[in-house]
Amino acid sequence: MSTKKASTVIEEFQHSDLSTSFWMGFKATFYRNIKIIWQYKFTLFLGFVNTFAVASLFFYIGNLVPNQSISQDGYIVSSVTYIFAGSMLVDISTRILKKSMNSFTSEMKQGTFETLATQPFGLKKYFVSEITFEVFYSLVFSFIYYIPVLLIFPVFRGLNLSLLSVLSFLLVIVCVIFFFFSLSLLAANVTILVKRGREISMVIIGVMHLLSGSLFPLSLFPDWLRIIAYISPMTLAVQSFRLCLFGQGTLINGIVWGSVVMLILMSIIILILFDLTYKKIYSKIRYKGTMHEF
Amino acid sequence: MTFILNLVTIVMYFFFSKMNPDMTVFGIPSTYLEFCFLGLSLQMIIGTSLATVCGSIYNEIASGTWSYLLLQFNFIEYSIGSTLAGVFLSSLSVFAALFLAYLFMGSFYVISIQEVMLVILLFLLILIAHMSISMIFASFTIYYQKNSGLVPLLYQLTITFTGIVFPISLLKGFPMIISRTLPLTYGLEALHSIVLADQNNWQLIVTNSMILLISSVFFGIVAIFLASKSITHSKKHNKVDWY
Repeated sequence: MSTKKASTVIEEFQHSDLSTSFWMGFKATFYRNIKIIWQYKFTLFLGFVNTFAVASLFFYIGNLVPNQSISQDGYIVSSVTYIFAGSMLVDISTRILKKSMNSFTSEMKQGTFETLATQPFGLKKYFVSEITFEVFYSLVFSFIYYIPVLLIFPVFRGLNLSLLSVLSFLLVIVCVIFFFFSLSLLAANVTILVKRGREISMVIIGVMHLLSGSLFPLSLFPDWLRIIAYISPMTLAVQSFRLCLFGQGTLINGIVWGSVVMLILMSIIILILFDLTYKKIYSKIRYKGTMHEF
Repeated sequence: MTFILNLVTIVMYFFFSKMNPDMTVFGIPSTYLEFCFLGLSLQMIIGTSLATVCGSIYNEIASGTWSYLLLQFNFIEYSIGSTLAGVFLSSLSVFAALFLAYLFMGSFYVISIQEVMLVILLFLLILIAHMSISMIFASFTIYYQKNSGLVPLLYQLTITFTGIVFPISLLKGFPMIISRTLPLTYGLEALHSIVLADQNNWQLIVTNSMILLISSVFFGIVAIFLASKSITHSKKHNKVDWY
């Protein structure tokens, strides 16, 4: 059977009454993933130690800054708190991407991806379900891991936040999560084509870490690099996250609303890109017969 | 990909160094960039030597080639071969990243031929120590047929607590204990003494080299013992591969 015929059969199958509904498939993906995670209970504990190690790294680096204080956007804050806040946001958000990529790489290595591709549920719905789970999983566990870490390193003690700042801060976080959800979808698409999910996510995360200014104020960048840095939505996101936390920043502030608009806009562009490239990539890998990664 | 990642990490700490952390406060006679350059250049190679044996065996088990390999090689041959291949490939990208970093950031080390030899010797000792640790984790993988996730954790602990991007004199209490249980701490301490200090602290270099040598031998013996037990166990229960 030609690839075109196979695609038509699968598409017809997905739209028939016998096809699994999105909600049922979504529930099945959730249930399956929780069962897998439960088999690796020990790694849940390791996750905490790992978070502690990452947080320690940024805590000690913060101690190296002369006078241990940094000023930016009209506020002055301890260098430890400054670095900790920026790095924590980048760490938590990039976990979504890392976990999603790891998941797709494992599916392809173990050969289960091919089976998933032929399910009446549809691969695209599976992508959305899987990444939604990874977003949920990463956020819940980051929250669980960071609570004891913040008790060990009480870097945010004594912060004074107005209600508007808290709301703006939460809005920025929601936008960051939405951005990483869409980025993970597009990256998963690329992963099934080039079969290098882990490496791709590591490079994206590394570049975002560098450009976001998580370790230092962006004023240290030369002008040309600062312009490039602002192309990454995480740069404005980290800046507005810090501004809400330390400088009573609200949505009225240009940096905060700018980051919200940019994150939403980039997320929409990425989602459109995912939708445009998905079919082509899927047809290509089926035509080439490279569903698996050996 | 590894090349880009190395370069990005070096560039990130290059800009951090522009905040002028004073390293002489910690008794380190160098700038921050000179200090962290050594550790950062080792970081990826250590990661490779730590992950190769365990990761390769996990992949062999998952893809069903492990049983065939057992007929052709023994565990030690396989470990050394795969580690050397991995380290060689990651070294290429590290050297390329270092070259570019040297070119654009202009940080140079001036060391004698004798010191170069010492650096190579220490480098080998560090590699062997991490390969032996990876062999121990590989034996768990063979026994349980699962990836424990311990290697990424150990790698993260190594990056944080061995003095790659900040001096270990900042550590106190429990983090200091963690630091002293990691082989790279001793390796980096000796490397910093050779490359950065005007006068080599021979007592520190010899002591740390001996610690690395003894720990390599100890971990190696434990790994071989555990691996032989694990292989016997997997053969006995007919679960050499997953499939």
